[in-house]
Amino acid sequence: MNSVPLVMYIVTSIAYAVYFARRSDTAGRCSTLMLVGASLTHTFVIGMHTMQVGHIPVVGTTGAISVFVCLLALSYLYTETMTNERAMGVFIVPLMATLQAIPAVNQTVTARPPVLESAWFAVHVSSLLFAYASFALACVIGVTYVLLFKEIKAKHLGFFYARLPSLQVLDVMNGRAITVGWLFLTVGLAVGGLWLAQLQPNTADPRVQAMSLLDPKIFIVLLIWLVYSFELYARYSIGWSGRRAAVLSAVGFAIVLLNFVPVGYFVTQSHNFY
Amino acid sequence: MNLFLLGASHHSAPVNLRERIDFTRRGVVDGLAELAKLPGLSEAVILSTCNRSEIYAACDDPRVMRETLATFLSTYHDMPESELVPHLYTRTDADVARHLFRVAAGLDSLVVGEPQILGQIKDAFTIASEQNYTGVFLNRLFHWSFGVGKQIRSETGIGEGAVSVSYAAISLARKIFGDLSPLRIFLVGAGEMAELTATHLRSQQVRQIGVANRTASHAATLAARIDGNAVAWENINSELASSDIVVTATGSASPILTRNDIAAAMKNRRNRPLFIIDIGVPRDVDPASGEIEQVFLYNIDDLRSIVKENMARRQTQVDAAELMVDTEVDKFMTWLRSRAAIPTVIALRERFDSIRKAELARLEPKLAKLTPDARARLEEVTRLLVEKLLLAPTEQLKATTDEESVAAYAETLNRLFKLQDQVSSPESEIRNPLNDSVISSPRGRDR
Repeated sequence: MNSVPLVMYIVTSIAYAVYFARRSDTAGRCSTLMLVGASLTHTFVIGMHTMQVGHIPVVGTTGAISVFVCLLALSYLYTETMTNERAMGVFIVPLMATLQAIPAVNQTVTARPPVLESAWFAVHVSSLLFAYASFALACVIGVTYVLLFKEIKAKHLGFFYARLPSLQVLDVMNGRAITVGWLFLTVGLAVGGLWLAQLQPNTADPRVQAMSLLDPKIFIVLLIWLVYSFELYARYSIGWSGRRAAVLSAVGFAIVLLNFVPVGYFVTQSHNFY
Repeated sequence: MNLFLLGASHHSAPVNLRERIDFTRRGVVDGLAELAKLPGLSEAVILSTCNRSEIYAACDDPRVMRETLATFLSTYHDMPESELVPHLYTRTDADVARHLFRVAAGLDSLVVGEPQILGQIKDAFTIASEQNYTGVFLNRLFHWSFGVGKQIRSETGIGEGAVSVSYAAISLARKIFGDLSPLRIFLVGAGEMAELTATHLRSQQVRQIGVANRTASHAATLAARIDGNAVAWENINSELASSDIVVTATGSASPILTRNDIAAAMKNRRNRPLFIIDIGVPRDVDPASGEIEQVFLYNIDDLRSIVKENMARRQTQVDAAELMVDTEVDKFMTWLRSRAAIPTVIALRERFDSIRKAELARLEPKLAKLTPDARARLEEVTRLLVEKLLLAPTEQLKATTDEESVAAYAETLNRLFKLQDQVSSPESEIRNPLNDSVISSPRGRDR
């Protein structure tokens, strides 16, 4: 069922590309409507899975990716409505389509092992997924910032100059996305840590026992926390806004993706609930 | 009915001649009132801008109108016809539409894609229509041109990119900072160029402007004139740190701001972006400053080359725009030709209706004993009968757009129904109240 939203995301990506190239208002409104349709359908699909297994399907990496894509779509739509700016869609919707391909190929919905039957789990996972969605937005905004920055510095005002909002707007949006993402990341990690402290002495599950700072997934997520903490500190204390912040947020999200997909599937000993 | 245009523009006439036939001097309303006195002219709009004076008309005979309008233009503006005529151009029917659509799209402007002309056309039309000098034809033509102008600007890049140096600078500032109003501007140099730039920035709601000049009194004078504040020459570096846009325009032979000055300022301003516009020749700012992170340095040549690029880019959009004009002219002409059948339609309806009335009159003695209610019903039934009979032929006639078929139909109908005496001059058609019921409202376009 996850292939229906996939197809919709692909078609929406094309619509945003057409809008970006032609800049016709009609194409823009159509793109937004299509994305609204895709994200609602996606929410419905996730809802169906929830009914099927009796909890939100975020246990395995596959289900988590699907929910992440859906959250990303909703937060992007929120940003678009707030700023009345559609130019970013052509960069971010293809990302959704690419990630959605994973749950579309692997359709199984993972049943929840007893160890995860806890309210802590829901808070832990949803905070982190929301943080990642914010970082994805920040990354895309950062990339567009660099594209526009390069054109202005090179004094060849062309394609992006005519289409993107001002550097200032992009910088402010990037800063906000990073701040929101960092807050959720911090909450998600703190909840995870507290939960683990309660769980570890009483549970024999090898995965729970494998949770330590040296587990790749946990180690890398702490690295991610450090990267974004530094970015925030640099932005507000030493004036690292603009291009440097943009580059940092792209680097940060690259690590997030790395941790989310390859590490989540193949390397981690602790977070492999699939 | 034909469309006709007579005018002069920057393509055909030098500025000293255009000045003399400018209608705005005595007011377009006055010109229209004089124009309305001419014979054979049923609708008129005067478009008068600094680059063109044009009279758009709906008339019976374009050949006569050419003479009439040329004479009018020379007498109204009090200049010899022989001097004026070589600079005039005329257009008829499809070419009038094409010309107006091109003008509306900015294709005929000095700077291709220039935005003001569309507003000027709208104003010209509003004045004429408020004074009731326009009717079905010019209403439709002008409304159509507004749509074409808008469509071409939004669907091609013909109006995009700054095409003047000062506008290029402002557009850059907007792309860097977004809203300009909270920014602080610093002018180094108090010459004419600095003042011009300041005026442009003021129009963008910039509130804080500082001025520095080697000769302090010049800075004070300019600061007073543009409502800014004078900055002492020694304080340039501290002012740099608190400004967002710096405009340098001095006559200095060596750079006034070095890379080090600017790097130091950037440190103090914690890397907030700094946009430096160096319009001095020779340059006032060390070009190496542009390498500093978050410093955007543009000199006068950079801005000029942007303008050149934008002009060239607009030029590439011209072909696409011309194609759109062609399509719209075709559509407009289809509408215009469909109007050719209207006199026949009206005559046919009048003929049938007169027969109906005559028959009712003939039967009057027999109908006299009917109740008023039954009389009214009889009246209605006969009227509906005629309308039903004429429905299909009317629709067919209105759908015919090529001139030959219209003429053939008219000829046939004239013979079959003896309409000859009823197809009157097109003049009566314009004033005929039936017009708007036969044709949909003149407002808006068939889209």
